[in-house]
Amino acid sequence: MSSPLVSIRGLEKRFDLSGSFLEQLRFEKGRLRRKQEAVHAINGVDLDVHKGEALCVVGESGCGKSTIARTVMGLLSPSAGEIHYQGQRIDHLERKAGLPFRRKMQMIFQNPYASLNPRMTIQQTLEEPIRFHNPGWSPSQVQEKVYEVMQSVGIGPDWGRRFGHEFSGGQRQRIAIARALAVDPEFIVADEPISALDVSIQAQVLNLLMDAQESRGLTYLFITHDLAVVEHFGTRVAVMYLGRVCELAPTAALFASPRHPYTQALLSAIPKLEDQRPNHIRLQGEVPTPVNLPPGCVFHGRCPYANERCRQEVPQLIATEGGGQVACHAVEERRL
Amino acid sequence: MPLLQVKGLDVRFALRGGDLKALRGISFSLDKGERLGLVGESGAGKSVAAFSILNLIARPGYIAGGQILFDGQDLAAMNERELRQIRGNRIAMIFQDPMMTLNPVLTIGTQMTEAIRAHRKISRREARAIALDRLTKVQIPSPARRLEQYPHELSGGMRQRVIIAIALLLDPEIIIADEPTTALDVTIQAEIMALLLNLCEQENVALMLITHDLGVVSQVTQRMLVMYSGRIIEQGPTREIINDAQHPYTQGLINALPQMGEPGARLFQIPGSMPSLNNVPSGCPFHPRCSFATDQCKRTMPEYVRSGNVDVACYEVANLIEQEKRMQEAGS
Repeated sequence: MSSPLVSIRGLEKRFDLSGSFLEQLRFEKGRLRRKQEAVHAINGVDLDVHKGEALCVVGESGCGKSTIARTVMGLLSPSAGEIHYQGQRIDHLERKAGLPFRRKMQMIFQNPYASLNPRMTIQQTLEEPIRFHNPGWSPSQVQEKVYEVMQSVGIGPDWGRRFGHEFSGGQRQRIAIARALAVDPEFIVADEPISALDVSIQAQVLNLLMDAQESRGLTYLFITHDLAVVEHFGTRVAVMYLGRVCELAPTAALFASPRHPYTQALLSAIPKLEDQRPNHIRLQGEVPTPVNLPPGCVFHGRCPYANERCRQEVPQLIATEGGGQVACHAVEERRL
Repeated sequence: MPLLQVKGLDVRFALRGGDLKALRGISFSLDKGERLGLVGESGAGKSVAAFSILNLIARPGYIAGGQILFDGQDLAAMNERELRQIRGNRIAMIFQDPMMTLNPVLTIGTQMTEAIRAHRKISRREARAIALDRLTKVQIPSPARRLEQYPHELSGGMRQRVIIAIALLLDPEIIIADEPTTALDVTIQAEIMALLLNLCEQENVALMLITHDLGVVSQVTQRMLVMYSGRIIEQGPTREIINDAQHPYTQGLINALPQMGEPGARLFQIPGSMPSLNNVPSGCPFHPRCSFATDQCKRTMPEYVRSGNVDVACYEVANLIEQEKRMQEAGS
C-alpha cells in the first residue's frame, strides 16, 4: 500500500482538570496531598488516512472522536504522539512553518450557526482564506476563485452580499463547505458536518461532500455518531470507545460482520426502517468517565464476554480475516 | 370512541407583522393504548402540536380554533385550573432535554413526591413509596439511592429514565414524548426507546411520540402522521406508510435516508428546504419542492384522499387513485 496522506501515531490527549498548583492541594486524613486529575480523551491511537479515501471515525459522546479531529488539524496540541502529513511531522511546528499544511488541510464544523462569522458577508467569508493563503493574488483573481467555489457548491453569486443569519442551516453548511474548498485543500476534516441538519437537508450536504470528493480528489477524515451515514459514505471505519480504537475495518466488512462486541452493540442500536420493534444488543451500565479509566480493556465493564484477562491487560489491534483490525481478547482467543 | 380526538386545530403566534400560522387545521385521533408517531422536519409544527394539546404554548402563541377532545371534554376550551387536573395527571409529558426538565436544586425524591402530592391527597411516605416503585419500573440501578440524589449526579440516560418515571407517577392514560432520545447516544437511545415501548404496553398507556427519526417511529409506533408546514400531509398505519409512502414528501424523506441508497452512490435528495412560517407558499406548501406539482397544486390545498388505510393530501395521489378506479371500471 502507498504511504498514507495523514498518519497518527501513538496519539494521546489529556485535559487537565485540577487547575493551578494551589488548587491541587487537598487535606486528606490530616495530611496535605497534591491531587492531579485529567480527562483522558485519547489514549494511544494509531490511524492512517490514505489518499482519496473517507475514513470515518464513529463512537458515542466522550469517546474522543472530535478531539482526534481537532488534534489532527492542530487546533489542540497532543499530550503525546505524533501526526504526520505526507511523511512530515506537523504536530510540533511553529505557526509559520505550519502554514503550508494549513492550506492543504481544512475543517468543516458541526454547527454552521456558530462557525460562520455573523459580521461578515458571505463574500468576505469566502475571500478571507483565499487572500490569506495567496497574498500575491490580484482582487480579480480572488473574485474569480470566489465565484468558482460558489458555483461548485451550488450557491448563487447573489448570496455574496448577504450575511450568515439570512440562511437556513443547510445553506450555511454549504457556505462552510465552500469556505473549506476555497483554498483547494487536499484533506478535509469534517466534524459531524450533517448532524445539526434535517433529514432532507442531510442528503443534500452528503451528496455535495461526495461530489467534491470525486471532482477534487479529496481525502476525508469524517467524524460522526451516525452509523447509517458511515455505511453510505465511508471507505473505512474506525470505531472508538473511551479514547481508543476498538475496531478498524473497510466499511462493507464492518457492517457485514462486526467483530468487536461494542461495534456489534452499536450497529444493533441503529433504528432501522424495517424493524418492527427495537432489537438491540443490551449493554450493561453506561460509558465510564474518562477521568478514571478502567484498567485493561476500557470496554470490559459493559462487555458480556469479559474475563479476567480483559480486566487486566489492554488489548492491542490485531488483524482479522475481513481485512480489518480489532482490539479484543475474546476475538483473539476465538471465544467470539 | 377514541381517547383523544383533535379536530381542526389551528394554532397561531400573534406577532407584530400579523399572525404566524403554526398549525393549519390539523385533525387526528389517538385510541386507548395506541402508539402514534408524529414525524416531520424542524419547523413542521410537530412540537407545537404536542404542546398545544395540554395548552402549553406560551404567548404570543394561542389556539385560534378547533377542538381537543379528551374523554369527552374539550381541552382547548378549559381554563387553567381545569387543565391542571389533567396535565401531568391523566396526560403526562416527556421533553427532549432531561437537564432542562429537572429542577437542578431539588433532589429526585422531592421532585417526584411533589408531583404526586400536587394531584393526590396522600402522605409524604406514601408518595415516596410510589416514587420508588416507578424508579424500579424504569430499571434504574439502585433506585432508593436516586431519590436522595440531585439531577447533576446522574448521567443523561439515567436522567431520562427519571423523567419517564415521573411521567408514570400518576398512572397517566396518555404520554406525550417530544423527541425523548434526541439528546442521547445511540446505544442509550435504544435502551430508552425499548423501555418506553415496554412500559406503554404493560400499563396500556397511549403514546404520542414526536420525532424526526423514521427508524424510531418504525420500531415503536402503530400509526404515524407526517407533518409539513403546519399541516398533516399523510397519516395512517406506520408499516403501510414506511413500506409504501404515498405523498411525494414522505417518499422523499424515506428515500433520502442513507440506508436506502447503495453505499457510495448519490443519495436521493429533495431540492430546497421547508418554507419558513412567515412565507408559506400558496396551495400545497410542498409544491415548490415537488416534481409532480401542477397549477392546481399552486392554487389550492388538496383534500385528503384514501389509499389503502392511509390518508394523503396530494393531488397527484388523488389522480392516480382516480385513474386506477377508471381502469378497473373499464376492465369490468
